[in-house]
Amino acid sequence: MRDRNSNSNNSGRREFMRTGLAVAGGLALPAGFASRVLAADQPPIGTWPAGSQGDSVFIGIAVPRTGTYAVQGEDELKGYELAVEHINEGHPLIKAISPKTKKGVLGKTVKYGVADSAAKPNDAVQAQQRFITENKAILLTGSTSSAVAVALNKLAQREKVLYVAGISGSNDTTGKDCVRYGFRQNFYGETAANALGPVLLKAFGKNKKAAFMTPDYTYGHTVTKSMNDFLTKNGGWTMVTNQVSPLGAPDYSSYLTNIANSGAEFLINVNWGHDAVLSTQQAKQFGILPKMKLVIPYQIPFLAPEVGPDVTEGVYAATDFWWTLEDKYPLAKMFVEAFQKKYNYRPEWGAENAYMEFALWAEAVEHAGTFYPPDVIKSYESPRKLNSMVGEVEWRAADHQLIRPVIIVRGKKPGDMKNKEDFWEVTEIVPGAGVMQKPDAFGCNLGAYT
Amino acid sequence: MMRTQRPGRVELLTAIGLVLVPLILPYLGSAPNTVNRILVWGLFGIGFDILFGYTGLLSFGQSALYGTGGFVAAYLLTRAGFPYVWLALIIGMVAAAVVGYLVGLIALRRTGIYFAMITVAIAEVFYFVEFNPLSEWTGGENGLPGVPTPSLYLGFTTIHFTSGWSLYPFLAACYFIGIVVALRIVRSPVGAIFRAIRENPLRAAAVGHNIHAYKLAAFVIAAAYAGLAGGLLGVLQAFMPPEAFTFDTSGQLVIQTAIGGRGTLFGPLLGAAVWLFLQDFLQATLGLGAAWKLVLGLVFVLLVVFLRHGIIGGFVDLYRFVKRRKAPVEPREAAPSPGVADEQAAHAVAAKTAHAQPARRLHHAASDYTGPILQATGLTKHYGGVIANADIDFTVNAGELRGIIGPNGAGKSTFFKMLTCEVPPTSGKIVFEGRDITGMSVTDVCQLGLTKSYQVNQLFNRLTVRENVVIAALAELRGKFKLDMLGSVASIPGLDEQVSSTLALVNLTRRRDTPVSELAYGEKRRLEVGLALASSPALLLLDEPLAGMSPVERGETVKLLKSIAQGRTMIIIDHDMDALFELAERVTVLQEGRVLVEGTPDEIKRNAKVQEAYLGGVHGVIDVDEALA
Amino acid sequence: MISWSNFVSQLFNGLALGALLALISSGLTIIYGTLGVLNLAHGAMFMLGGYAGYVAYEASGSFIVAVIAGTLFLGIVGVLMERVVIRHFYSRPHEDQLLVTFGLAIVYVEGVRFIFSSLSKTVPPPPLFTGITSLGFMVYPTYRLAVVGIVAVALLALFLVLYRTRLGMIVRAGIEDSVMVDSLGINVDRVFMVVFGIGAMAAGFAGIVNAPVVSLTPDVGEAILVQTFVVVVIGGVGSFTGAVLGGLIAGEIISITSMFNPGYAYVMLFAAMTLVLLVRPQGLLGTRGRE
Repeated sequence: MRDRNSNSNNSGRREFMRTGLAVAGGLALPAGFASRVLAADQPPIGTWPAGSQGDSVFIGIAVPRTGTYAVQGEDELKGYELAVEHINEGHPLIKAISPKTKKGVLGKTVKYGVADSAAKPNDAVQAQQRFITENKAILLTGSTSSAVAVALNKLAQREKVLYVAGISGSNDTTGKDCVRYGFRQNFYGETAANALGPVLLKAFGKNKKAAFMTPDYTYGHTVTKSMNDFLTKNGGWTMVTNQVSPLGAPDYSSYLTNIANSGAEFLINVNWGHDAVLSTQQAKQFGILPKMKLVIPYQIPFLAPEVGPDVTEGVYAATDFWWTLEDKYPLAKMFVEAFQKKYNYRPEWGAENAYMEFALWAEAVEHAGTFYPPDVIKSYESPRKLNSMVGEVEWRAADHQLIRPVIIVRGKKPGDMKNKEDFWEVTEIVPGAGVMQKPDAFGCNLGAYT
Repeated sequence: MMRTQRPGRVELLTAIGLVLVPLILPYLGSAPNTVNRILVWGLFGIGFDILFGYTGLLSFGQSALYGTGGFVAAYLLTRAGFPYVWLALIIGMVAAAVVGYLVGLIALRRTGIYFAMITVAIAEVFYFVEFNPLSEWTGGENGLPGVPTPSLYLGFTTIHFTSGWSLYPFLAACYFIGIVVALRIVRSPVGAIFRAIRENPLRAAAVGHNIHAYKLAAFVIAAAYAGLAGGLLGVLQAFMPPEAFTFDTSGQLVIQTAIGGRGTLFGPLLGAAVWLFLQDFLQATLGLGAAWKLVLGLVFVLLVVFLRHGIIGGFVDLYRFVKRRKAPVEPREAAPSPGVADEQAAHAVAAKTAHAQPARRLHHAASDYTGPILQATGLTKHYGGVIANADIDFTVNAGELRGIIGPNGAGKSTFFKMLTCEVPPTSGKIVFEGRDITGMSVTDVCQLGLTKSYQVNQLFNRLTVRENVVIAALAELRGKFKLDMLGSVASIPGLDEQVSSTLALVNLTRRRDTPVSELAYGEKRRLEVGLALASSPALLLLDEPLAGMSPVERGETVKLLKSIAQGRTMIIIDHDMDALFELAERVTVLQEGRVLVEGTPDEIKRNAKVQEAYLGGVHGVIDVDEALA
Repeated sequence: MISWSNFVSQLFNGLALGALLALISSGLTIIYGTLGVLNLAHGAMFMLGGYAGYVAYEASGSFIVAVIAGTLFLGIVGVLMERVVIRHFYSRPHEDQLLVTFGLAIVYVEGVRFIFSSLSKTVPPPPLFTGITSLGFMVYPTYRLAVVGIVAVALLALFLVLYRTRLGMIVRAGIEDSVMVDSLGINVDRVFMVVFGIGAMAAGFAGIVNAPVVSLTPDVGEAILVQTFVVVVIGGVGSFTGAVLGGLIAGEIISITSMFNPGYAYVMLFAAMTLVLLVRPQGLLGTRGRE
């Protein structure tokens, strides 16, 4: 864990200096600490009030539409689009999550713009900067890669515009790279490990040997670490090898050969997106599967259809959502129905995550009664129970992570599938509070409000 | 392509343009961040254009230097808590320049495509190193977030540059300084030599420039610009991304420079504007979604196919086209008609050359040496199994005019190449003015006072006649390497004199502002000799100076050669016996790589062995005069 | 973790990868050697071969048909590309050639993405080669072993064309000295077209043969392109045998390094290339002066 304290002190000092500045459009301000008064009396901050003065507000969305995570990015985008549609029309599902919503957010229509991030932080930052200056975006979102989420966290904090994460599995997003202006609703490495770990131990026992495949960036390293820590501490498992591969590797034969010769009994594949598809397919070609058991700590939308149910049969995975939850949660049922009607397939968890982020944001704004960012942030941080598609949830103020259950699924036998999307069976719904780390365990240091 | 403008005009226009941008562009709907990005790419591109557009070195590895400068600056400002943004940027720039020097030492050992490939490899290695081994310092795949923006403390007030239009003045100022420095560099002697290297590296070295050192200088300059631009990227985004190191970044730089126009300094800025504007336009305005890159690719291909010199080149061509339709055509040097006009022309040439003595003292290796000016012993050259020259002993005295003849394949050109040290001998020794020059470089030998004019013209084709001679004269006046990047060509003492007198010697004064590509063949040959003359050599070798000339041209050239021979030693290879026998005092005959015979022209004419060598067998002795009567 | 079976497995990996690289690189090297054009679209053409084969497979269900379709389609693409675009660039500086092929690469990749989307496509290996072969102490995917054989046959065919036919002789002469070939009255235009077509077909064939191994995405050609350059440099520009040797060496460098740390594999490859460039710039089997 790197020491972030000195850095945030510096940025705090610079925030302090910047408080006395002319921002683009330049109104001269007195230096000083902005105290919490009525929003209307506040000096401008970020894109407030400019971004919400008209009859619409703008959201900047950056998803990968090309590259390794393109498939998941498109799915995520559909979730966002459905959410915007529902918010603008005051759909019952949105009202169930955000009771004060009538039409739009505080009566304003929600508009948005989409840019291709190609899972590259640089491209995402560029696009969002444009959305901020040109469209006066009041909310930023989008990420399928945690590297993007971290970069946008920092951008949001600098520009003083709220950011809600898209898919982001790294511990760092609400850990050492957390920011006051950033929020995340989905599950992540630590919660996945703590939820999935006991299930694995129960199903397979102790003292097993595992081979890990890790993509070489923040998400991969933190998830592998969390999984490995849990399994070794609590079950005496050993990591016999950790094959670290670059994002977008075209060929896994070298890594798989090393794994085949490692004596492992389990293959824990942390690769994501197309990398997961390819590495799993090749693992099968090399005879590693089904000789070893596959475990997917952080489930990938569309993995099952792409590799085929004969590969995912019996595989344990941790995920944010699966459509069969509609049998248990009425809001999930509404969501799956609405999504299927619009897009002709049942949603994966990327779409659900996107929808939830927007719905929860709408709720936070309505609850605050204003778009003024510090007030919206405080609305997020004020303790209260919220509705979601997986039951009751609530935000944790200390690191802006939503406390929500982790869904454990297991791949179905091809013969047991009732329809062509029935890939997974939900085996457990693990409550969030028990599987999260302590708020300061990962060095989270939220920054200033202004 | 950069003519000598009224000094300061380009700089002034640039300054005005930069000031007007934030006043005009917002009304055209341009985002300040896009404009800021364009400035950063533009600055990155200035250095690259000096390297590629001016010196002709296509590097795909600039991202390595961009990233280095950026990460050093970002690291100082974030992890190390360095408070001064300006200073961090400068340190980043210097770091990049140093790394560029080291990289250049490796990469520049090869040229052309191989050089490009080494730069690709280096770029990939740097990216990898950033990601893995050095991730403690560079933040690995996350990059370094939290880079602050600069502030200017003016004593009575502080100006903070934050983002958007507020940051623009800072970036514009950096760009302006960058352009001013670059303009000085390309107008300096170093800039002229860069262009010479691009046009004809072989000749640039042969006229006495240490081209490797100049290339390295260009590489370091490009690295410095790249490093500064990288630092500015971090400031612009508040985040230093690892993408700065990718091959894509280098590729985008090359594309933008090609689109805008290479060799113009402003091309990369224009190219970046077009590229980024199209990116935004295609994605946002046209709502093309994922197809935007396809359209961009098509547009790029079309631009490359139809605009050979980029957009700026397209405008320049248009301007020239329009200008040419208005102005009368410059009269070509009329081919002189035989007869009276010929005589008059010849007199004119003779009169000119009589006055136009070389203005400078000739170059000598050792000015008080009294022995033979050149002495080669046992000179041999093997190419694999082929023996081009075998055991040649050859001595020339100072002031002599020596001719060399021989049938095809005799090894004459190879012999010359060894004398000028273009090619190392397999064995043997060459002594010039008492100094052993065996194994030296062609550049050093030229600097000592021994140089050659080529059989096939080796000129700087896209430069004017005058500029060609300037290149050669610069080597003579400045030595083989001098880093006077901020000086101007005009201020070199003695340059004008040297150039004018050389031009007068070869009768090209009237054509001095004509590009080489527009010269007639005879004029090009004269320029070829002129380039060699401009180095003021004590010993001048001429490889087939009369090749391909008409009879009239030949006569003029012979007169020219006679005039320049004054005070100099010359060795001439040619096939034109009449001309050579008229010029030379002694003639050496080579056959099959060896010296066949040596003597006065008369002796050579009557020599049976020579006749046999040329005619392949003779019965009895031919009386040449009788035969030719 | 250097066990015997790991070592042999990686050796096989290297062989499979190296054979593939050899085939693709031979296409690139004869194009560069003859035309002097460094085809930056070569990786994209590899990808196109895979997709053409995929379309044919979906239509016919036969792997053989897919391979033939992929190869022929690239033959057409190569010839068209040379006719319509490349030939106008012979007299233009090298950089322009690099730029236009670079642009075409983008067009091909994005065009495929537009038509097929980024979702990966799979072509299953032919029934004859599916499954796993047991080699005693280890198992290995049967198809990868087959790839070595298939590519070897293709390389042999290419070798026979180049060294045993009149056309091949002309092509090799063109690599040596295209001006001379022109002066001898041979239609150099047609030679160039044929060479580009052959080079493209080699890439296309490799693309479809490799499809069952890696699965197809529009970006699959990008990494291959850089590796191909390295192979051409190591083996020697314009040398077919050099491409084969270079390919095998490159494949083995990647796989042996992967035994220790796969992350460093490509860095080692580049280090090897830089070393060759500095010490023996014409490559192991190339001729001097081809820069």
